[in-house]
Formats: sequence, C-alpha cells, structure tokens
Amino acid sequence: MTSKQLLTVKGLQAKVDEKDILKGLDLDVKPGEVHAIMGPNGAGKSTFGYVLSGRDGYEITGGEVVLDGKDITEMDIEERARAGLFLAFQYPVEIPGVSNLEFLKAAVDAHREAQGLEPLSSKDFLKEAREASKKVNLPAEFLKRGVNEGFSGGEKKRNEIMQMLLLKPKLCILDESDSGLDIDALQVVAEGVNSMRDGERSFIVVTHYQRLLDYIKPDYVHVLSDGKIVKSGDASLALELEAQGYSWLAEMREADPEEMHREVSE
Amino acid sequence: MSFWLDQALAQAELSNDCLAEHRAKSLEALRATPWPTRKTEAWRYTPLLSLDNSVIDEPNDNIDYPGSPEGVELIELFFVNGKLQSNINVAVEGLTIASLDNLNDEQQAVAKTVCQSAKPSRHLFGMVNDVLAKQGVLISVADGSDIKPIIRLVHLQNGGQSHVRHLIKLGQGAKVSVIEEYRGEQSFVATSFSEFDLGDDAVLNHYRFGLQTGAAKALAGCHFNLANRSQMHSTLVSFGSVLSRLDVDINHAGEHALATQNAIYLLADKELFDLHSNVEHMQPHGTTEENVRGIIGDSAKAVFNGRIHIHRYAQKTLAELNNRNLLLTPKAEINTKPELEIYADDVKCAHGATVAELDNKALYYLRSRGVSEQDARIMLNFGFINELIEQMPAEPLCEWLQGELRTRFGDLRTQLSVEG
Ligand SMILES: Nc1ncnc2c1ncn2[C@@H]1O[C@H](COP(=O)(O)OP(=O)(O)OP(=O)(O)O)[C@@H](O)[C@H]1O
Ligand SMILES: [Mg+2]
Repeated sequence: MTSKQLLTVKGLQAKVDEKDILKGLDLDVKPGEVHAIMGPNGAGKSTFGYVLSGRDGYEITGGEVVLDGKDITEMDIEERARAGLFLAFQYPVEIPGVSNLEFLKAAVDAHREAQGLEPLSSKDFLKEAREASKKVNLPAEFLKRGVNEGFSGGEKKRNEIMQMLLLKPKLCILDESDSGLDIDALQVVAEGVNSMRDGERSFIVVTHYQRLLDYIKPDYVHVLSDGKIVKSGDASLALELEAQGYSWLAEMREADPEEMHREVSE
Repeated sequence: MSFWLDQALAQAELSNDCLAEHRAKSLEALRATPWPTRKTEAWRYTPLLSLDNSVIDEPNDNIDYPGSPEGVELIELFFVNGKLQSNINVAVEGLTIASLDNLNDEQQAVAKTVCQSAKPSRHLFGMVNDVLAKQGVLISVADGSDIKPIIRLVHLQNGGQSHVRHLIKLGQGAKVSVIEEYRGEQSFVATSFSEFDLGDDAVLNHYRFGLQTGAAKALAGCHFNLANRSQMHSTLVSFGSVLSRLDVDINHAGEHALATQNAIYLLADKELFDLHSNVEHMQPHGTTEENVRGIIGDSAKAVFNGRIHIHRYAQKTLAELNNRNLLLTPKAEINTKPELEIYADDVKCAHGATVAELDNKALYYLRSRGVSEQDARIMLNFGFINELIEQMPAEPLCEWLQGELRTRFGDLRTQLSVEG
C-alpha cells in the first residue's frame, strides 16, 4: 500500500434542516483499505454518506473533504460520482417508468465520458450488465424492470452492488448493504465487494453487524457517535462492540463536562 | 355561428346515403346550437378563434408516411387529407372492414345502429362530423372472433379540411385491437370521431395516437358503449397544437363491464390540448380506471375535464380517476377539473388531480450515479409517461411509441433542465 490518501476528511461539520448532525468528523482512507463504520442509530452514519455524495440539503458548515487529491465539497453530485465516489444506499428509491437498463447505460456512459471514452455500444453494455447481474444473483429480467420497481429489500441491495460493479468507483461507501439480506444474499454482496478489491479501490462499510465483517475483512473499525468518530481500532473492535453494545458511549459522554453542558442546554 | 362553420356546411353536399337521416338530425341540432363563447362551460379554456382566423394550407399528396411498428401483425389503412388511399382488401375470418362510402346492405344496417349510439349529441364538432364525414370505415367483428392482427388507421394531413368517422362493432365475445393515428403540423382542420360498440363479453384494445401538432386544428372524439362483461383498454397519446380537442365518452350500458383508460399529453411551445372525458355508469358492477398524465412545457396549456357520473342503479361501481401534471416552466398551464356525480350509495370512487414536481429523491439517486441533472430530469419525465406506455397490452407497440415520444422529449430537452 502507498502512503497516498484516497480520502481525507478533516473536522467535517454538516447540518440538515438547521440541525447539526456531523460535528467534527475525521477519517483517512488510503487506497485499497476497507474501513468499517459502526455506531448507534441516529449517530450520523447515513448523513456522512449523503454529505460525501453532495446531496441537496446536507450543508457542510466546516472542515474539508479531499478525494484523490481534489477538494470535492464544491462539486455537483454527478461530478463526485464521476470522480469515483459511489454510495450504495441504505434505502434505494423506486423509480417506476425508468428502466434499470437505460439508467445503468446512462450512468456508465457518463462515467466513460468523464474519462474521455466513447459511449459503450448497446451490445457491449448489455453483455457487461448481464455479467454484473449474474454476479449479484439477480435474474437478467431485472435489468428491464423499472429502477428498483417492486424489488424486494434484498433485491434492491443487490442492485446497488450491481451498479457498483458496473461503475467501478475508486471509493465505495456501503450504507447497511447487509441489512435485510438473507444469508446467501449476504455472501453475494460480500463476494461482490471482495471481487472488486484490487489494492487500489477502497471501501467504507457502514454496518450494525459483525457478521458482514466476517466476509469483508476490514483494516479499521470506527465507532461513529453523535457526529464524530469516537473510537477506532482493528477488526477486533467490531467483535468487542458486538459483545458490549454502545452503553459505554453514554459513560464516555458523561465524563466529558463540555459535552454534558451542551446536552443540558439543548 | 362561425364563418368557418357556415362555409363548411355550405360546401357539404347532402348525399342520400344510409346515414342521411343521422346527418339531417345533427344538421338541425347544429343550427340550433349557439357557437361557443368564453362563457360556454365546455369551451371555457379553449378558444375557437383560430378556426375563423387562420389561413388554411392547400392540401397536397406529397406526404411522408410514418414507419410501422415492428414485430406485430398489422392491417394498415392510410387516409391522406381525409381520403382513404387504397382499396380495402382484408381476408381475416370474422372481420369485416368496409369504406363508409361503399357499404353493402348488411353493412349499412350495422353502420346505422353504431352511428350516434355511443357518441352523445352534445358535442359540437361531433355534430359537425355527423353532417360532414363521408370518409371512414366500418369495422365489424363477428361473435366470438378473436382478430389477431392489429388494425391501424393512419391519418395524414397537410392542408384543407377533413372529416372522418369510424364505426366499430364488436359482436358478443369478439376481440380486436384498433390503433387510430393522426399526424400533421400544417394549417388544416380535421374532425375525427370514432364510435365503438362492444357486445357482451367483447374485448377491445384501443390506441389513439393524436400526434397532430403545430398549426393543426384537430377536433376529435372517441366514444365507447360497453355491454355486459365487456372490456376496453384504451391508451390515448396526444400532442398539442394551435387547437386540439378530444372528447371521450365511456358508457357502461351493461353490467360488470371494465374500462381502463390511460391518457398522456405532451405539450410544448404555445400549444393547446383539451381533453374532456366523461364516464357514464348506468348499470351495476362496472369498473373504470382512468390515469391521465401530462407534461406541459413552454407556455403551453392543457385542459382536462374528467367527469364520472354514477347513476342511481349503478350499485357496486368501482371508479378511479387520477390526473397528474408536470409543469416545466412557470408559464406552462393546466386547468384540471374533476367532476364526480354519484347517485348510487354503494360505490367506491376516487378522484384526484395533482400538479406534481419531479421526485427529488429520484433525481438525487440518478445523479449520484453520474447521470447529469439534465439527463436525469429527462429520464424522470419520460418515466412518468412511460409508466403508462408500458401498460399497453401490445409490447411491440410500446417500443415503437417510445421511439416516437423520445423525439418529442428531445424537443422538450432544454426546458427539462430548468427547475420544474
Ligand atoms: N431532514 C432532517 N431533519 C432533521 N434531522 C434529520 C434529518 N435527516 C436526518 N436527521 C437526523 O440526523 C441524525 C442522523 O441520521 P442518520 O440517518 O445519519 O443516522 P444513522 O447513523 O445512519 O442511523 P441508522 O443506524 O439508524 O441508519 C438522526 O438523528 C436523524 O433524525
Ligand atoms: Mg443510516
């Protein structure tokens, strides 16, 4: 591994609807690394992904985000995607009437255009799409359906992974891609991720369960709580959390008088 | 009366064909009907000035024929400037197609029963069409016949006046699919009315592609009579033009009938499109489902009036009407008016109209995959319409129509990137 950073997040603060959610988040990801982010409900894990992706309404109020040497905070959503950022959503939306295939081709061609490449021929694209759908165990008919239209929870998650396979991003953020999956589907997702590990591509895996990390071995595990990374460690931290839960976070906060006062005044 | 109407009637020769009585009746009624003004409810948002004020182009035979849908067996008839182009030569068992100006005795008898059976007399241009339409076809499907090829009636016009009437009769348990397609963008006047009379247990798949645009003045109607347990599935696609009006009537004349109707309108420039839809539930256990969706760009104007009338004896009726509109610019306009009249107590009825914006979550999702905002907006708008297209029973038609509509969306492209 090189010492170069793929993603540098420093003191990131962000608010949604006038509410501060991220409160000074630091994270460094080097090429090829897998980082797991765990933490209680409402901690800001999904928000972190949205902020990185540039979603409207998620306003950065402080700190910096550098992806592959470029400050991305002023980029449009689609520019960030083309720069190699990919967010697999916790709750993918259904878009009836827009065919999966048409959408995927537009996405792939937009990525290619950004790299100075010609659009794929329909034939070549179809071949790639079929292979990708096979990898995530989605029947090829799903390509013809509306985007996520009528897909089960697990099928939607697999569709996200399929998109990741097709778009070949530099940084993949998986937001609870394991929740709602049956055991086989969990392996499919994990295999999808592992097949893309090439020593350069990096992953941020948001999860509540140690189980996924049995399949996708993280280099680092972080605990995100109240908008900050409050603890980091190696893979063993996930096991610890599984055993202990998050009650220790409250104790930690109590020990921090500044934090305590803020909570009282809120 | 209007100058246009005076002239049109003056030029009409009152021939003595089998529909002469029908014509005479309508002519009388027409003479007694005041020409609409802005105060006439049915024409409130749709001025008829262009009929009197515009110069009509000279029609000519130099006309481009549109491509045919592939992968589906078709019986195609072309009308150019209101005239049937070739002899009808159909050898399909159970199917009769005959030109209205060339009917044998038996066919004349059928034509007389279908004409004015589904179309109520109140439609102004329906009466005009009654009086003036000499061209058109009678389609008759024998009891129990399931007609495989789709009948495609293509109407191309580049000038002048045309008045076309189609009369379609489905015998008991008969099945047939009919496409009505209308094209042209020059300055012309077209009245195009069709009536469908469905026997017990008959099934009709109906498509009406009203693709006239530009300076065309298109005044049209589609009218359906449903007998016991009959079914109709209709898809209407309409562009707008300087004057474009479509009246639809669906009459549940028998019990347990089913009507589904999906209507789409796509308007740009200063175009106008006015859809008046009327459903009469006269018998119990009828079902109607209407989905009406429009995209309106530039300073175009759409009018939708959707009436459902549930008569006193029409218990157990299920009726749903939904109208959704996307306005692409602040100058685009929709006048939508739902009208529910219910006189039976045991019915389920829903009626709604919305002016929607694009789904922001969907827009974000597409962009997060690298698709530009403009392309994402086009995709979502197209998807909004495509949802209804994909419900069309004949799959090859979907692909063909999607191709046609993509061109239209290409025209709307620059506006689609503007915040809705
Ligand atoms: N639009 C909004 N307005 C106000 N608060 C919001 C909004 N969106 C999110 N939040 C709040 O931000 C906090 C962080 O939410 P987020 O979805 O990032 O949590 P999470 O860590 O992903 O939780 P989970 O584990 O349940 O998925 C929550 O308290 C949530 O209620
Ligand atoms: Mg979350």
